[in-house]
Amino acid sequence: MIQRLLPFVTLVALFIGLAIASPNFLSASNLSSVVRQTAVINIMALGMTLVIIAGGIDLSVGSILAVGGLFGTMSISHGASIPMGIMVGVLAGTVCGAANGAMVVGFRVNPFIVTLGTMGIFRGVALIASNGLPVHDLPPSFSFLGEGNLFHVPFVLWLLVLCGAGMHILLEHTRLGRYAFAMGSNNAAAVYAGVPVGFHTVAVYAIAGLLTGLAGMVEASRLLTGQPTAGLGYELSAIAAVVIGGGSLYGGEGSVVGTLVGAFIMGLLANGSDLLGTNPYWQQVVIGAAIIIAVTVDEFHKRRVRK
Amino acid sequence: MLLELKGIRKSFGGVAALRDGTLSVEAGEAHLLMGENGAGKSTLMKIAAGLLQPDGGEILWKGKKVRFRTPAEAAANGIAMVHQESLLARHLSVAENIFLGREERLPFGWVKRRQMIEKAARIIEEHHFPLRAEWMVDRLSPAGKQMVEICRAIQQGTNLLIFDEPTSSLSAAETDEVFRIVKTLKLQNAGVIYITHRLDELREVGDRVTVLRDGQTVHTDALSNLDLDRLIQLMVGREVASIYERKAIPPGEEILRVEGLNRKGVLRDISFSVRAGEIVGLAGLIGAGRTELCRALFGLDGVDSGEVKIAGKPVRVRSARQGVSAGLALIPEDRQRSGLAALLPISHNMTLASVDRISKLGFLNHAAERDISTDYIGRLRLKCSSARQAAGKLSGGNQQKVVIAKWLVRGARVFLFDEPTRGIDVGAKAEVFEVMDSLARSGAAILMVSSEMAELLQTADRILVMRQGRISGELPGHTTQEAIMRLAGFDAEVPGAAENDTPGETIQ
Repeated sequence: MIQRLLPFVTLVALFIGLAIASPNFLSASNLSSVVRQTAVINIMALGMTLVIIAGGIDLSVGSILAVGGLFGTMSISHGASIPMGIMVGVLAGTVCGAANGAMVVGFRVNPFIVTLGTMGIFRGVALIASNGLPVHDLPPSFSFLGEGNLFHVPFVLWLLVLCGAGMHILLEHTRLGRYAFAMGSNNAAAVYAGVPVGFHTVAVYAIAGLLTGLAGMVEASRLLTGQPTAGLGYELSAIAAVVIGGGSLYGGEGSVVGTLVGAFIMGLLANGSDLLGTNPYWQQVVIGAAIIIAVTVDEFHKRRVRK
Repeated sequence: MLLELKGIRKSFGGVAALRDGTLSVEAGEAHLLMGENGAGKSTLMKIAAGLLQPDGGEILWKGKKVRFRTPAEAAANGIAMVHQESLLARHLSVAENIFLGREERLPFGWVKRRQMIEKAARIIEEHHFPLRAEWMVDRLSPAGKQMVEICRAIQQGTNLLIFDEPTSSLSAAETDEVFRIVKTLKLQNAGVIYITHRLDELREVGDRVTVLRDGQTVHTDALSNLDLDRLIQLMVGREVASIYERKAIPPGEEILRVEGLNRKGVLRDISFSVRAGEIVGLAGLIGAGRTELCRALFGLDGVDSGEVKIAGKPVRVRSARQGVSAGLALIPEDRQRSGLAALLPISHNMTLASVDRISKLGFLNHAAERDISTDYIGRLRLKCSSARQAAGKLSGGNQQKVVIAKWLVRGARVFLFDEPTRGIDVGAKAEVFEVMDSLARSGAAILMVSSEMAELLQTADRILVMRQGRISGELPGHTTQEAIMRLAGFDAEVPGAAENDTPGETIQ
């Protein structure tokens, strides 16, 4: 039980510690900025949670984020309405995800390899489509998605709550979620039980792509720019959030709450080092250590349980 | 005394696996270690072989107090263990595995490869195992891997060899070879400790027996002083009907009919039928094609020709999914690898093949799932803390019940049981048979693969015997082991058979 609670305890301790150490921490503007900064990683990590539970991995999400953000902003700059543009971004992400899933199933190749490949391919697609140039001519109202407030709370927080609740329902209350857990826990057993493993694998990656496309639009909205180079290295943060939150890279384990906690731990570490003026390079060290500690505690616990 | 274990204690995460493990073995003695699953047999032996460290108690080796901190330290004293689960390097060859960690070294880490292969080949040949030194371990069946483990242990265990259920995946001929190895070791004045569940093989090898129950040594005696019923009683700690006996019921209509099934190099012209209420046994040596037949029927492997009818209707089963839809159920040989989703709760495992029945428009009905799992936990007398317990934490017998329950929930009509009692203790075996019996009574057709002939004789109404991919004959349920062995080609078993039938390999 301790290992399940550890991420929560860490988050709360971090929160209290920062509240004491820095008078600015609890200000509305600072907390909003923490939420805005972590929202992109959080939304991606929700999709990654599903993929990891199903026994897969998606290294291409950073590139998918760029594809989604770029195609969405390009369509807006070409005259599409903002909601339409967001839809285009989300759809582009979904297509990329589905392509990942289809290749994992069709070629029977390890998802690590497939998405390592598409990480390059999708990035290349974004660079080719934009000729390497960012999309700047966007209406200022587009920034509402990432920077606006609704009922005095950042809009992205509502969005995150909505996505989190949706993913939680999907994992715990739908057939797809059940099959994802089964495939991740024991793929052969799922096949033997007659589970349509191929279809559901594609669905899992497509949903991860959908959320990543949405995250791409949030990122573009915050910068009011569509960047073909957006999201570099984000895949590692997304994976880290899932793992810190108790997800297992062997599949079959993970939860929405855990992932959100994991992402916020990383967000608070970053925010804290900004507020306290510590050397930002140390952030990297601390977050890296947090990943190793989380997994070590988890493994230690499992070894004790196992006979 | 060669080895003495006194009052060994060992806990895992606060759960005591061993409370008082006491056992002694003399040079030239074959000592049996018996007990139900979870009694602590493997734990005690892993401590003796240096794989685990005890929390308390004494180990005496040739009268001197010792502690083996690593398997290498134990091996240095000539102690080796044949493990129940395969502890081999999958991507290395048979020869490399046999000598792993004990290679003859040349400067700069060079290894004498050819010499090693020749040496390994000699060991394999000496024991008539259907293996080749160059084969990759990855491609071997569980039985083949077991043989490699044995070859490897023989290399190291010159003073004391520990066998942890060495024959659970071996055929009769290979089992006999293991017995011969034990006898040879005794003649060489080595000690042998032998863990087994197979009551029929006791007398073949053992001198004395130690019984463990719930982590404690409850009895040690010469084997000749104990009869089978007494042994079972000591193991389970209660009186049980000594061996399961089934009353056959009049069979109903034909449920499964197979005509001329062929799969190149694996199955040849297989024809048989199973009627409602029947349990048909499938006997044969390892590599005869029994598992392959189950896989082909269930849709996991393709077939080249032949026809399958279920309840009179021809069915084409090309994937497990179609197999499940056609009303087939496969309880696989390797429960951990392909039967059970160990991390998931019992309830999720039970409904895995029937998720469409507990969901509407893709949304799950948790109440229905709870009712179903509670119902089957009761019906199968599953020992668990709740339906939400992870299935992997159950004992072997209870895990098997969960796998079976998955198909009961689904309402399958044709059950293919592949070695359903492997690695399951005596009490749970009888319960698995009871489940099969009640299944048959409710009108299911059952095909059961088993390498334990005594088990087939007790449970099956008819026995089909396979040999090199063919059905070589059919016997009534009350036949004899000798008759089965004759049809299985037991007496014709020669080492050269490996060339055309490669029993060491599976088609995975």
